[in-house]
Amino acid sequence: MAEKVSVAEVAEKMYKMVKEAQGMRKLKAMDLTKNIMEIYGDRVDKQTCKDAIREIIETEKCVYTYFGGSYIELPHKEGAANP
Amino acid sequence: MADAPKKRTTDIGPPHYEQFLPPAIKKNYGQWKYHEILRAGVMKHVAENGDAVYTVRAGGSRLMSIDKIRMICDLADKYADGHLRFTSRHNIEFMFTDEKKIDTLIADLKKIGHPVGGTGPSITSIVHTQGWVHCHSAATDASGIVKSVMDAVIGHFENMDLPAKCRIALACCLNMCGAVHCSDIAILGIHRRPPKINHDLLHKTCEIPNVVSACPTAAIKPTTVNGKPSVTVDEERCMFCANCYTVCPSMTLNNPLNDGVSIWIGGKVSNARHEPMFSKLAIPYIENNPPRWPEVVEAVVNIIDVWKNNARKYERIGEWIERIGWPNFFKLSGIEFGKMHIDDFKHAGLTFKRSAQLTY
Amino acid sequence: MADELPKTPMLDELEKGPWPSFVSEIKMAAKRSPASKDLLGILERSYQEKIGHWKHGGIVGVLGYGGGVIGRYCDVPQDFPNVAHFHTIRVNQPAGWYYKTDALRKICDIWEKRGSGMTNMHGSTGDIILLGTSTDQLEPIFEELTAIGFDLGGSGSDVRTPSCCLGKSRCEWACYDTMAACHDFTKNYQDELHRPAFPYKFKFKFSGCPNDCVASVARADMSIIGTWRDNIRIDQKAVGDYASAGVDVTKEIVNLCPAKCMDWDGKMLKIDNSTCRRCMHCINVMPKALRPGKDTGACILIGSKAPIVEGALLSSVIVPFIKMEPPYQEIRDLVERIWDLWCDEGKNRERIGEFIQRVGLGNFLEMIEVEPAAQMVAHPRENPYVFYEEYFEEGEEEAEN
Repeated sequence: MAEKVSVAEVAEKMYKMVKEAQGMRKLKAMDLTKNIMEIYGDRVDKQTCKDAIREIIETEKCVYTYFGGSYIELPHKEGAANP
Repeated sequence: MADAPKKRTTDIGPPHYEQFLPPAIKKNYGQWKYHEILRAGVMKHVAENGDAVYTVRAGGSRLMSIDKIRMICDLADKYADGHLRFTSRHNIEFMFTDEKKIDTLIADLKKIGHPVGGTGPSITSIVHTQGWVHCHSAATDASGIVKSVMDAVIGHFENMDLPAKCRIALACCLNMCGAVHCSDIAILGIHRRPPKINHDLLHKTCEIPNVVSACPTAAIKPTTVNGKPSVTVDEERCMFCANCYTVCPSMTLNNPLNDGVSIWIGGKVSNARHEPMFSKLAIPYIENNPPRWPEVVEAVVNIIDVWKNNARKYERIGEWIERIGWPNFFKLSGIEFGKMHIDDFKHAGLTFKRSAQLTY
Repeated sequence: MADELPKTPMLDELEKGPWPSFVSEIKMAAKRSPASKDLLGILERSYQEKIGHWKHGGIVGVLGYGGGVIGRYCDVPQDFPNVAHFHTIRVNQPAGWYYKTDALRKICDIWEKRGSGMTNMHGSTGDIILLGTSTDQLEPIFEELTAIGFDLGGSGSDVRTPSCCLGKSRCEWACYDTMAACHDFTKNYQDELHRPAFPYKFKFKFSGCPNDCVASVARADMSIIGTWRDNIRIDQKAVGDYASAGVDVTKEIVNLCPAKCMDWDGKMLKIDNSTCRRCMHCINVMPKALRPGKDTGACILIGSKAPIVEGALLSSVIVPFIKMEPPYQEIRDLVERIWDLWCDEGKNRERIGEFIQRVGLGNFLEMIEVEPAAQMVAHPRENPYVFYEEYFEEGEEEAEN
């Protein structure tokens, strides 16, 4: 059994994913979870992913957004807020 | 976490309901034996031990100011020891044990403009959406039509003079935040033109694969316009649902010349007698005519009158039409049947008449 | 203090007539709130131009939450600067929509200070809707709401605020304690409610009996509808009283029974409970004489939704009967198996009902480890294109079972 990955490491990896996808593709919480599970295999479980998402949101590195569904993105000024 | 925010309270959920229950309700929780509707909007619930609670139900407008909420609170303080509840259809209920309070409460409600009714075989408050008051995809206003219709049918709110319940609902676009699709009468805002695409902005505001997959008829394809990634819409396949607009603000469907409402009838959610069923199309299009949409009001009143005059006791609109047949409904109501009434989406074949059991 | 109200000749027409006027409501709020004053102005313009003036924003919450706030901006901020931002806040209502006036007044006070003063009591899903505030007010509002014991509701791809009928609090037909169940599920799924992690929204609605007063069969991904397994309780004397009072028992009750399982000879009402469908009609008409049985619980249906994306659906049966007792462990386990599967296999913006349509109910049941039951279908399949999964090979001796 491989060593488990820490929440902090998963959070950092997720943050990078969001950063790289920004402007190209909006990622959902479940996309992040799926990608992480693919990378780390049995070294990570769903709870770790959940905790990692909570960390990137609560440290304000990322924010939830909504456009017909919920996404996780980097914080940015709202397009619609501009006149 | 260098700059950890100060401790915030989160995830506490709603307050526990028990603290809000009127004393007689709390005492007899789970011990109710039967109820009677004393008159429109006034109910008496009797517990196993003989305790009785009276409920007065007032019609509300869904859109309420805090000023009105405070006035209603004043009445709750005066009549119901500071307790009140709302129903799933925006009505306000006051509960108390002293029968003598009923008439004065009703009079006080009248003074602040709220009628009492909406119980039994009647029309109760219309559930509806935000419309032009607050929604980006509204094809019509919600509150204005609702107010105009209720002004016209308030007699059926204040009197239980219909064959059965009649549940009216309004949604201002196909998104149906108001989930009107199982109502006796549903008023549904509709767009009739394909989205206008802002090719300059689209690649900045929208994610193209999401936009493509949002289309129920696969009418949207990725493309490039003036060197910028964008989408095209096969207008022949567009049925104006606005789902693309929900995921992409650069594809607007709002169109003052063509937006309007459609009317759907005969749905229900209750299991009583007939199983739950969807509402079916009665009138494909009525143009927006603010501020009071007289054509919509007239159409709704006509449907109610025809049903009231022809249905048997306990028959809701859908049950009545199922008995007499749709051809008879169109004949009696004077509504014209046409191509748009015939379904052409998935499983449409199941809605074709597949027998010789016909009326003439 | 707002100045004089804008001229609104079209909206003024909607202050006429006997039904409560939403225009009068906005005008009341506009006396105090510049945002409500501009709301009047922009709405009048919509009435004149026959088009809405709102843009959807992506703002969805307060720090840490991915739901509960709906971002909204107007497209003519130069003319109506006080509604340039006009976000909605969803506040999770108490089960059954019961309040004490002091709690409501506290919400009004917060909303007077920090918002437009306009509300919906309540929104379609059941939340208290606070209509219209600006981005900088969101955190303070949240802090003040939690201080008086309220929290935000759901929005986006999460558990939406569950709702229920008033159940056992005032209804003799409630077959289980809907308010207790609704409160319990809401509290238990706070994380799923505030942090969107699903392909799309997921709604719970709890109805105490098959009359389904919260429309769960049409409006919930999981519809939990009270029912009973034993016999309808009959008070024959009370039936007689209804008959003497003018109820035509044969015409109004027996003939309208969808199962045709009743008989009335003028003295005795007989019910064949083995074919009774628990539709509620007879009980609705004679509440003093007939009552649901005593072996009560709920049936669980799954998958209803409005048309977007693949067409409207009604919920369909997944658990024909279950006892409804805290901690509802069996239902929670089922819910969590469904969510796990849906998160793994569901497409973006695919509701659970659409997912089931795509994979097939039979396959879905297998994946969530639920045995098929005849109650789950209106009738068996009519089409013979069966995906047989078991067969014999040539030379094989006998089927193993």
